[in-house]
Amino acid sequence: MDNLINSINKTFIVDGRYKLFLSGIKNTIFIAFFAAIIGITIGLIVAIIKISAKNNKKLILIDKICGLYVTVIRGTPVVVQLLIMYFAIFVNVNNSVLVAIITFGINSGAYVAEIARAGIDSVDKGQMEAGLSLGLNRNKTMFFIVLPQAFKNILPALGNEFISLLKETAVAGYVPIIDLTKAGDIIRTRTYESTPLYFVAICYLIMVVGLTTVQKIVERRLSESDRN
Amino acid sequence: MIEIKNLTKKFGKNMVLNNVNVKINKGEKVVIIGPSGSGKSTLLRCMNLLETPTSGNIFFEGQDITDKKCDINKIRQKMGMVFQNFNLFPHLTVIENITLAPIKLNLQTKGEAEENAKKLLERIGLLDKKNVYPGKLSGGQKQRIAIVRSLAMNPDIMLFDEPTSALDPEMIGEVLSLMKDLAQEGMTMVVVTHEMGFAKNVANRLVFVDQGQILEETSPQEFFSNPKHERSKEFLSKVLYNV
Repeated sequence: MDNLINSINKTFIVDGRYKLFLSGIKNTIFIAFFAAIIGITIGLIVAIIKISAKNNKKLILIDKICGLYVTVIRGTPVVVQLLIMYFAIFVNVNNSVLVAIITFGINSGAYVAEIARAGIDSVDKGQMEAGLSLGLNRNKTMFFIVLPQAFKNILPALGNEFISLLKETAVAGYVPIIDLTKAGDIIRTRTYESTPLYFVAICYLIMVVGLTTVQKIVERRLSESDRN
Repeated sequence: MIEIKNLTKKFGKNMVLNNVNVKINKGEKVVIIGPSGSGKSTLLRCMNLLETPTSGNIFFEGQDITDKKCDINKIRQKMGMVFQNFNLFPHLTVIENITLAPIKLNLQTKGEAEENAKKLLERIGLLDKKNVYPGKLSGGQKQRIAIVRSLAMNPDIMLFDEPTSALDPEMIGEVLSLMKDLAQEGMTMVVVTHEMGFAKNVANRLVFVDQGQILEETSPQEFFSNPKHERSKEFLSKVLYNV
């Protein structure tokens, strides 16, 4: 018992180490949240371009660029992307959290693009035709009719993607950022104990369970129209 | 109202419509029949450019809609279309299905559109379903709602693409009777169908299509009693057992 109290004391209280954990959690959530927003935005745009390019030959070049983007991002580890971004492309940017947000956002965008494309494809073609036949243009039909149905179909896959994204941000410590994982590791090197690492694991677990709960609530809301 | 000139449509190398000419006048009820794969649905879908013609021109109220400068979205507001598979929007309630286009196109305010939708629903006896989702409706109810969804745009012409082919037999009647009502009110209608009874009783003119060409264009009475073309006779002998 004394051991445990001693351990908790060393991990959290001594030198105000809980503050390091708090700022680590804050950074992790901050990076994951804004990266997810960038990811959805990029992913949707790329998916719509890829689908529109099927009936519009003018988009063929930009479609090829999107294809290259997805291939490169999915074909290289996110840690390597982060290192390249921080030490090469954004070498003059001092805000390492910002670089991490951009990196993880661009990375997530490639995965969201594939998920969203499959989701839009899964909506019956008749829905687009019905929208067009009422005089709505392609964009409006896409926005009001196809995307809401696609979103419902891809929600489970999208949830998975954001859970992965949250956990992948654990490599942010490769560049000068103190995220949750890095905070735990720093404290471990000071206390020579494994308690900080277990604490880090529990923090991730709680966040992921939280995300899953939100996802379930949204799914239940959206399935209202399925009840027969 | 619609004039189709030298319309040809190919899917790859497959010639689906071969140099078709048709004219549809205001107030006419034209029924297009023919064997499956004959190109009749494609012909109908070319009329509002859901299929882009390979060559030829289509005029709607004097305007060439195959012209690139023509705003097809504006034209389509005047042409209602009813599909075989209803294509109601499953994520929206019945009333939202009907009001979506008039509201998003800024033709009516939300209040006006809803008033109008309620009147239309009352007319088909489905006002009590206004807040349910399409998944809860029967096929016949879905198709009648799809029809009034088109009517909510106050179209000049209604195109029907096999509107009863996906329905259970006992639901066909309710859809056909709504279509008959529309016809009696003077709506211009083009109907692709296998319902020979409807063709016989409602149509002013009957167009028989086979292998991408119009083989006969005549009054229904004439067509059913005295078909001229060999293919028409063969077709009739196969379908007329139930009239």
